[in-house]
Amino acid sequence: MSEVALLQLIGLGVIGAGVVILLFIQSRFPRVIGFVMIVLGLFSLIALSVPQMASLPPAEEKFDVASIKTANDMAVIGQKIFFSKGQCALCHSIGPSESARCPDLKGIGAKLSREFIYESLTQPQAYIYLDYRHEGPPKDYPARMPHINKNPIGLTNNEILSVIAFLQQMSGEPITISPSEIEMPGQSAPVSTTASAPAPSRPSPAKSKAKGKAKRADAGFVAMVHGR
Amino acid sequence: MRNHDASHGRVLRRLNVWGLSIAGLALLAGLLGFPVTGWAEDAASASAAVSYRDIPQLGGSRNVIWVIAQLHLLLAGFVLGVPIFAWLCEIVGWKTDEKRYDKLAKEFTKLLTSSYATTALFGGILLFLLIGFYPKLMTYLTDVFFPSFLVYCALFLLETVTLYLYWYGWDVMLEGRAKVFHLFLGFLLNVFAFFIMIIPNSWATFQASPVVIAEGSSLARAWAATWNPTWWPVNVHRLIANVVLGGFICGAYAGVRYLSAKSAEEREHYDWMGYVGNFIGVFGMLPLPFAGYWLMREVYQYNQQMGITLMGGFLSWLFILQAMLIGVLFLGANYYFWLGITYRIPGAEMKYKRPIMAMLVILLLCLGVWMTPHSLVASLEEARKLGGTHHPLLGVFGVMSAKMTVANLMILVTFMSFIMYWRAGKEETATWAKVAKAMMSGLFGVAAIVIIVLGVWGYFVPAIVRINYFSVAQVLIVLFVLLTVTPLTALLMKTARTTSEMVWGRMPPRAGYALVLNAVMVILLMTLMGYARSSSRVHWHIYGVMRDSSPYAYSPALGYAAAFMSLNTFIFCLLVAFIFWVATMGDKGQAKDAGHGSALPAMAGGSQALDDRTDVKSV
Repeated sequence: MSEVALLQLIGLGVIGAGVVILLFIQSRFPRVIGFVMIVLGLFSLIALSVPQMASLPPAEEKFDVASIKTANDMAVIGQKIFFSKGQCALCHSIGPSESARCPDLKGIGAKLSREFIYESLTQPQAYIYLDYRHEGPPKDYPARMPHINKNPIGLTNNEILSVIAFLQQMSGEPITISPSEIEMPGQSAPVSTTASAPAPSRPSPAKSKAKGKAKRADAGFVAMVHGR
Repeated sequence: MRNHDASHGRVLRRLNVWGLSIAGLALLAGLLGFPVTGWAEDAASASAAVSYRDIPQLGGSRNVIWVIAQLHLLLAGFVLGVPIFAWLCEIVGWKTDEKRYDKLAKEFTKLLTSSYATTALFGGILLFLLIGFYPKLMTYLTDVFFPSFLVYCALFLLETVTLYLYWYGWDVMLEGRAKVFHLFLGFLLNVFAFFIMIIPNSWATFQASPVVIAEGSSLARAWAATWNPTWWPVNVHRLIANVVLGGFICGAYAGVRYLSAKSAEEREHYDWMGYVGNFIGVFGMLPLPFAGYWLMREVYQYNQQMGITLMGGFLSWLFILQAMLIGVLFLGANYYFWLGITYRIPGAEMKYKRPIMAMLVILLLCLGVWMTPHSLVASLEEARKLGGTHHPLLGVFGVMSAKMTVANLMILVTFMSFIMYWRAGKEETATWAKVAKAMMSGLFGVAAIVIIVLGVWGYFVPAIVRINYFSVAQVLIVLFVLLTVTPLTALLMKTARTTSEMVWGRMPPRAGYALVLNAVMVILLMTLMGYARSSSRVHWHIYGVMRDSSPYAYSPALGYAAAFMSLNTFIFCLLVAFIFWVATMGDKGQAKDAGHGSALPAMAGGSQALDDRTDVKSV
């Protein structure tokens, strides 16, 4: 017997019991219970008569190092991570969107160097912009971006590199991440992707052109969000 | 002095009972929690990072959590709704000097003590089970929300102290400034209850609409997570829904007692109580769809995919069931009003027969439109015959534009029923009465026409225009009618002459069943929408942040879910009946001791005659 048939049988049984109570018992309280049983049984039967659709979870994405042969393979995996484990799409959009709460990432791979993207993901407070939304001297404007390599998101180095590959590919840029940079299990990071020194609290004029662009873009976003 | 001693004795007895019940509940909680802690130790030794535990023997951890969480939520809704209900009744009693309102408020506050303990008991069980079954999720939530856990505990202490003062101080704060202070205590009770409601709401809504939590102090992180996009819509929706639940449960209780009433006095009293309960339930129900609309808007704005899952995805049929339940609730509430007009007001039956029939037809038509599904599940051949998955004629009613229109019309009709009941048996004496009545009729007529026009126009504009402007305009029009006609009618009735006195206690038995039906519908609706909210997260514990990787990551089909909803509703009804029975047991004993036999209603406030009896006043 199928689950639906079994539940229908139970529903009918509950209604039947309710009818019996109403027919043969005169005491008021049991009669009310019988009435409630009939109502609930009917509700269940109606719910069982509509199309029965369960929502099954999709298969979880696994980062299979062995499957990576080309830079494009990395970008494919990076796209999956971007929309799932990485939670990037929770706030960022690719292209203009009214519901996006953080900067639009369309073309970001063309605007920023891979080192800067890596640093933005793992040290979001490395460059703290200035906030002019009040009287007096400007104050630091801490980024709302979480550390992607720490909990709760906790992307591994391989996963972060794949996301960068996806961002570059999505921006129409050549992917500068090579599959050889992928860490094999039990192996330490083969490539130093970013400076690990403590970040200055102000953007340095000596940074690359790409970083300068990023600074302006983000500052523009801050101004736009706050109506400036 | 003897009275004083007796009063002390009574208080001590109550405290004893209260203390014993708390001790018993704590023991039970401990016993229930014991196996869970045992499993936790086993699991901890087996693995350092356990994500899930299960008890397949009891139908699986998810189902156990489902039942306990649902019962806790329903009880919490009741516990938070009743103080609002009681406080409103107390204010009415204080303002109008009608003692029966005050007694009604007091008796419902008495229920709070036992239901508060039961709610806390289920909350404790739920917490133990969540920690045991979902350690990874609970660790994450604790990490984010720990400061609000502490605030929650502090609020519970404040709420408990206020409840004790409010309940035990009732008889000593009856007059003058003391009464005002007592009303202030009632206000505080509701304020604390409100915050007790919105803090767990932040945990639950964060699961559905999480926000980015950047680095910062634990307080800043908790605050950021609390202010998530659906927090306030859910807060407002739940607050109103709790008032509705409290009102309709009061009505159902009155209905049951009315059915088993043995004397005319009891019948009068419970008939009146049913009227008050139904009135408060309907009063809350009218703005509830607007709060629901706001919530859905925020869901769509937060994540369109989640909105689509709810309204157009695998949960779309759920909204047909919701329409059916709300429709039955509207019909039940109106039916009770109509029975009241017919049986309580002599001579009104013939006068209002036609309008009642017209309103019934409108409600049924609206319900039919509301329940029309958006698309039909059809075979290829059937779809070809239909010309698609939409029915050629009825398909037009399946879209949101039609549903918003009929929902607003149903609210208007219910409000008309209420106004009709209010005015029945009275003749307006104000000189401006004719103008006011014409204005009210005009308002109803114009509002209905504009709502329909906007509904039809909605088919020909982009969805964003309809959602942002037309639907909002429809809602505002109905609110405008509610907010203008209510004070206007109140002003008219102030000087109106009573042509036929309302006679209580003459309602037919089906009125009692209608009240029970309304309460069951509200409870079912709460269980149904709880399932909807939970399922809209699909396979995520925290949407987009923490995936559910347990064997129960799927959302069950509606039929299976409905079986659980029915089970939970039934258990909750039995629990509430038990609480009512326990709370009124002492009254029956006292009534017998006082030698008044069975004529004294168990719940106080039977009639003015009862108020005047000095011996009853001292009870």
